Amino acid sequence: MMNKTADAVIIGGGISGCAIAYNLAKKGMKDIVIVEKEYLCSGATGRCGAGVRMQWGTEMNCKLAKYSIEFFETANEELEYEYDIEFKQGGYLIIAATEKEVNQFRKNIALQNSLGIPSRYITPLEAKEIVPHMDETKILGAAFNPKDGHLNPFHATQAYANAAKRLGVEIMTYTEVTGIDVENGKIKGVQTDKGYISTPVVVNAAGGYSQLIGEMVGVEIPVFSERHQILVTEAVAPMQGPMFMSFSQNIYCQQTPHGSFIMGRGDPNEPRDLRITSSWDFLEEMAKTCIKFLPPLKDLRMVRQWSGLYNMSPDRQPIYGAVKEVDGFYLASGYSGHGFMFGPVTGVVIAETILAEEPTIPVHMLGIDRFEKGELILEPSVV
Amino acid sequence: MLKSTGIATKEDLEKVIPPKERLARGPVAIIECFERIPCNPCYTSCKRGAIKEFEDINDCPKLDYDICNGCGVCISNCPGLAIFVVDETYSESEALIKLPYEFVPLPKEGDFITGLDRAGKPACRAKVIRVQNSRAQDRTPVVSLAVPREFSMVVRSMSLDDYYSDNTIVCRCEEVTLGEIREYIRKGYTTVDQIKRISRCGMGPCQGRTCTPLIMQEISRATGQSIADLKTPTYRPPTVPIKLGQLTGGENDE
Repeated sequence: MMNKTADAVIIGGGISGCAIAYNLAKKGMKDIVIVEKEYLCSGATGRCGAGVRMQWGTEMNCKLAKYSIEFFETANEELEYEYDIEFKQGGYLIIAATEKEVNQFRKNIALQNSLGIPSRYITPLEAKEIVPHMDETKILGAAFNPKDGHLNPFHATQAYANAAKRLGVEIMTYTEVTGIDVENGKIKGVQTDKGYISTPVVVNAAGGYSQLIGEMVGVEIPVFSERHQILVTEAVAPMQGPMFMSFSQNIYCQQTPHGSFIMGRGDPNEPRDLRITSSWDFLEEMAKTCIKFLPPLKDLRMVRQWSGLYNMSPDRQPIYGAVKEVDGFYLASGYSGHGFMFGPVTGVVIAETILAEEPTIPVHMLGIDRFEKGELILEPSVV
Repeated sequence: MLKSTGIATKEDLEKVIPPKERLARGPVAIIECFERIPCNPCYTSCKRGAIKEFEDINDCPKLDYDICNGCGVCISNCPGLAIFVVDETYSESEALIKLPYEFVPLPKEGDFITGLDRAGKPACRAKVIRVQNSRAQDRTPVVSLAVPREFSMVVRSMSLDDYYSDNTIVCRCEEVTLGEIREYIRKGYTTVDQIKRISRCGMGPCQGRTCTPLIMQEISRATGQSIADLKTPTYRPPTVPIKLGQLTGGENDE
């Protein structure tokens, strides 16, 4: 058991935690420790579909996503990564299957275009040109943004982690936080199964476990964790450029640069606890939806299924920043399934918040106090 | 089983493998002789009297572990090539195995070869430490191999091919070589889960059936951890790849 002192302890070794640590170190903070209970990206980051899109329905989410995707475009160089984050910008083709969706998409696209996002509304036939194996008769139209894409979540996290380590950040893997000490309303230190870390700053980037970390300091974060399932197929020659997605039909399906297809769907009946088991129902429903819209994929073999936790917030937008009850406790949670794609912007804005710097993107409206005030802006575009 | 396969069973071996405390004290002979035949050169060759006098020449030999100092003279004297000397104190993480080897060509000291188990299957990479082939061995050379300690009771023969060289493909689904795995371990990716995520080993259609044990062996060798203490990744459904069309119940496959 080793006891140490740190300027900041970040709980969670996913993309958020690693990006926050990297940005803090880059801005000059010394003695930063990331505490991760298993290995890096063992939680939601490593379990996600790893698609990244700018096509959102709220201004805030559009801005956060745009910033992050623009970062991913140059991340290999910026983070001086020795491998490759495998970023592929094949776009997102989001199909409209109902009149309601057609109207929503036209509104979304107007908003997105006003923020510099090059999305456009396209006809079923135009959609078929982009994804030739789709059944265009099943859709009314689609939204398409060529800048959206996909990248490897393991490498993206590792790229941040390695860059952070070079700047002196310590990463404690296979180390579990067992308690957080608060004295006179201030963070005092973090207890782990590998020793005690005295620190004035704790960042809760624990993904699906953020509510448990909140409880350790007596802060109730209005989130719950929900299982989401996913499957991956064998790798085949490149045939699908963009992510194929539908909110109303409940599917996202992407061919990775490696050649495998990754697809997932939500289910309102999924357990809302910390279970990450797999179910047969998911496979059957997933395969049905996939084959309905992308019929030739029926001959693809799935090789594995798994699941991970969405950390759902009431308005499906992240919860960023300080809490009023405990000085030195910062939140980076409640991503509602989109924490991976917001990773780069999370790293920047949380580091700026902690260091009391002028924010790159003003995120004060994403503070936890918005739920008390009732200032919610519901994100309509979530699978 | 021995009679039909020629391979000693766990029960057979329990009778001849010295207790842990003895193995912890240094080299000792292990006589894997289970067949009653009229043969006793092991007894006559042991100058220390560690192999007890045979009441009946058909008896299997009995070794007094406390008298045996693992000198290895008996190895070449056994016509059945059934005697080995194992030193589990050879190094921090390795054991030294002395075994009889009557094939040509002989390996050279310093060579990396492949240790084989009693069934002749590759078990691990081994380094040739010594080759004894003087008149004393009487054309039954004795080869000393350094192996990871957990293979001390596994390796009983060898192949000169270095199956565990850097060029060996460890993961056939994703074509990852052993050299790449070693490089990841050197860079600090020292659990199977970490290596899986950085290299894709175990993410292919076989779901890690081939690569996982090989990676664990390599981690064990590099870090000195015992394989039994290493965590394996979660094995997930399905066992065999299934067509999406089959999942909907709509199509039959061969």
